[in-house]
Amino acid sequence: MGKVIVITSGKGGVGKTTSTANIGTALAMIGKTVAIIDADVGLRNLDVVMGLESRVVFTSMDVIDKRCELEKALVKDRRVEDLMLLAASQRNRKDDIKPEQMKDICERLKEDYEYVLVDSPAGIEQGFHNATAGADEAIIITTPDVSAIRDADRIIGLLQNQGIDFINLILNRLSPTLVRKGNMISKNDVLDILNIDLLGIVPEDTGVIASTNRGVPLVHNDGSPGADAYMRIARRITGQNIPIPEMREDSFFSQIVNWFSRKN
Amino acid sequence: MDNSIVKLRGYKDGLHLIVNPKISLSEIELAIQELFAKMNQPLTGTSIQIDMRPPVLNPEDFKHLETHLTETYNLVVNGVNIFEESGESPILAAPATHSIATDLSQGQNIDLDNAQVVRQTIRSGQTTRCLSGSVIIYGDVNPGGEVISAGDIVVLGALRGTAHAGANGGLTSVIVAMELVPLQLQIGSYVNRPPVGQKPRGYPEIARVGAEDIIIVEEFIKF
Repeated sequence: MGKVIVITSGKGGVGKTTSTANIGTALAMIGKTVAIIDADVGLRNLDVVMGLESRVVFTSMDVIDKRCELEKALVKDRRVEDLMLLAASQRNRKDDIKPEQMKDICERLKEDYEYVLVDSPAGIEQGFHNATAGADEAIIITTPDVSAIRDADRIIGLLQNQGIDFINLILNRLSPTLVRKGNMISKNDVLDILNIDLLGIVPEDTGVIASTNRGVPLVHNDGSPGADAYMRIARRITGQNIPIPEMREDSFFSQIVNWFSRKN
Repeated sequence: MDNSIVKLRGYKDGLHLIVNPKISLSEIELAIQELFAKMNQPLTGTSIQIDMRPPVLNPEDFKHLETHLTETYNLVVNGVNIFEESGESPILAAPATHSIATDLSQGQNIDLDNAQVVRQTIRSGQTTRCLSGSVIIYGDVNPGGEVISAGDIVVLGALRGTAHAGANGGLTSVIVAMELVPLQLQIGSYVNRPPVGQKPRGYPEIARVGAEDIIIVEEFIKF
């Protein structure tokens, strides 16, 4: 029996879909069986990010309306074994699906897959309720902006009210240079407000844009800072104890000065 | 939320027994019996809190349940959390018995005798209302979170959201926080906000209505 993890944020554009695609791919790359559900009905794009757009024939709406079997609606990933996507219907609206129906799909998928990831839409309305209905755990994505943090805080409260207590945080798009200059909220300040466990930090990585546009999740791009961060996050999800590397928040110049002073 | 009658959950502050009060008392007690029978270890001597959503049990049934838990299972019931209808945030109905609260009120004119205790962080969008007396919050009040109290407000954490003390019009009410960086403070009918860019000062502070009918903030000495 696997577990269902909802990936959510409240605010849009902080990297929910990118993170879902990358964590799902990374989990499958380390040998886990993974099913990913796009819960953003009407505005789907997880299939695009994963490069599976042309292979989607059936959607979760077809499963709910019994037009096809759940197994048949799953799209197999092109690159990694044991990675499946259940796409969202683009024709329907979020209130066409009820939380119980999503919960049922989650329950059925977790019988066959070790990890079921649900990509939540932005907002706190019906789409959010659908995405979280079957979740055992949650991952909150936030960027170091006051507005994203505020929304994340709201989401944590809502998840706790639903009885989801295992909530972890991914801090996305952190730029050490900007933190150093005092122009970005630091990791510690974010954790101070949100007060939940940190699952990982994804540094600002311009490679994300190219990978999204090509439909190849970043984790395939070995060695990029973002890819490494997502691989570490996936390993932590599987229970491996991998420390979160401290980002260098001192300047290149002071690093050189430190290096010399250490020698002496 | 699932529909089981009773559930036992561990939180940071200890065990909570979550009771569905829509079910009759006898069924609740039966469910408790089944729940405890499934456990390997007896919970003798453990202190627990009871969580309920409205409609809450009537006081007689509640008393009965409390006695039942104490006598049959040797549990110590040390708090009751009643959640608001909206499911947004809990209001604790149990009187504060903690010595830290008593320490706080000594030498200060803070009325904590019948204070209600909230053991959680008030997050954005959540409101805690206590229109019968003071409130003590064991946690933070985050930006977008709101605490409203007829009496005083004590935040044993950072107050970063909005607080309204003396909500029935009491101008002598005060607001105390370990870290006072609110969006806005209200006492009675007075409103004030800190200057833009206010940083935490690193010591507890108290807000009260000063001589010139404005809310003033000063260091909270006695602790």
